[in-house]
Amino acid sequence: MRRRVWILGLAAPVLAAAGLLVGGSRGFTARAGQAQAQASGAEVKIDNFSFGPGIVTVPVGTTVTWTNRDDIPHTVVSDDKVFKSKVLDTDEKFSYSFTKPGTFGYFCSIHPKMTGKVVVQ
Amino acid sequence: MSGIAKAFDPGTVLLAKHAQHVVLVHFPIALFITGVALDWVGRWTRRNGLGEAAYYNLLIAAVSTLPVVATGLLAWQFQLEGQRLKGLLLMHLVLGWLSSLLIVAVWWLHFRSRRRGSSLPKYVALVEAAGLLAVGLTGHLGGFLSGVSGS
Repeated sequence: MRRRVWILGLAAPVLAAAGLLVGGSRGFTARAGQAQAQASGAEVKIDNFSFGPGIVTVPVGTTVTWTNRDDIPHTVVSDDKVFKSKVLDTDEKFSYSFTKPGTFGYFCSIHPKMTGKVVVQ
Repeated sequence: MSGIAKAFDPGTVLLAKHAQHVVLVHFPIALFITGVALDWVGRWTRRNGLGEAAYYNLLIAAVSTLPVVATGLLAWQFQLEGQRLKGLLLMHLVLGWLSSLLIVAVWWLHFRSRRRGSSLPKYVALVEAAGLLAVGLTGHLGGFLSGVSGS
């Protein structure tokens, strides 16, 4: 009986810690991967060869602004060429207003492995 | 298409609009550096065989600049739709042209002295050193732009 109490006593905090860790990391991943935009505008930062957040969800009519915080030039080009920026040097911005619902994938034409997505609801 | 299948698919490899430039650029860089190194060691040690090897390295380096320049210009047209370049991209373009000119110039100086049967002019080493510097800077910027180095 005493042994069981010891085992339960040790297992409970370990399980609780594991639960908190899993729950916390899920929340963190969700926040890192997807951002729910405010009503009027949303920001996407370009840094270290990636778009952040990678997926941004916005209501129809939102203007999304990309800012290049990287040391090297990048572009923002939608997969279906709906929007296309010029070459953005460090700290330059590009904005586009989404007037139709849908999912708009985009990439950097200088570094095609850099991709992102705007989900317009 | 899976990653492995895509890597060996001729269409994907050959028609990648700007990927060829970053692949092909390694040929003139390696051949030119090797050619200059062989030339310098050949002259230092007075071994004609090394001079011969240097000449053919420089010849192929000069020839291989043509597809590199072509694919670089195509990348500019395809990926950036020929928009006006500035900053690092402009610097890379200018240094790329300079490197290509110096590589061809070094080969031509070697070619001319072989045809005339005369020894190389003394300033060839200076042109070769300038070429190495330009190639090094262009390659550094190219690596920085492509994300291979510096970031």
